[in-house]
Amino acid sequence: MKTHYLFPNRFKTYGWIIFLSGFVLAGLMVSLDLEPEFLDLNIFTIAAQPNFMGDPEYFSMQENNMLAEIVGILLICGLLFIAFAKEKAEDEFIARLRLESLVWATYVNYIILAISILFIYDMVFFWVLIINMFTILLFFLLRFNWILYKTNKQMEHEE
Amino acid sequence: MKNSIKVERAKKNITQAQLAERVKVSRQTINAIEKGKFNLSTILALKIAKVFECKVDEIFELEASDWESK
Repeated sequence: MKTHYLFPNRFKTYGWIIFLSGFVLAGLMVSLDLEPEFLDLNIFTIAAQPNFMGDPEYFSMQENNMLAEIVGILLICGLLFIAFAKEKAEDEFIARLRLESLVWATYVNYIILAISILFIYDMVFFWVLIINMFTILLFFLLRFNWILYKTNKQMEHEE
Repeated sequence: MKNSIKVERAKKNITQAQLAERVKVSRQTINAIEKGKFNLSTILALKIAKVFECKVDEIFELEASDWESK
């Protein structure tokens, strides 16, 4: 299998740097309600709803503090790089493991989401949705690396 | 599917790591195949047979469970 859709191995390091920056910023942003003034910008939006109870506006310029957006992009890019960077030794076993881990992560993600839909409500559910944006890649990383770790551990007893 | 890779390796005195290198896969892959945890591709099976200087059928054997649909 030709892996044209994977990043070079070094992107794993880049991914961690980017993800951790985003993660720390996210933590700070949420706990300190950060909205740095220099990020208050006029931006082009495809869709927005400036008034909570008002009508949505399409293709308009809006004022928005961009910290949350930056954090989101950092987290997404970071996770994608970490998850889809090639392993040092790519072969059919790794390719199969990657595919199976992705399917597994998708199942687990949606099962948890379904349970959340049924049992979590109101603003708390809003946070579930936010976290859900990233959990599929997180589950994938956990599963993929766990199986790799187990496989390597077993190998220590052989020659 | 059963395989006798471990036996063949012992015959030729090759470690998992050495075999892995010769057929251009990771050592994990060889280990997983030996343990019956991975269905390798035809190409890889042929390569391994070449390294052991025997036929694919001599190393790999179908089992009854392989005939059942997954």
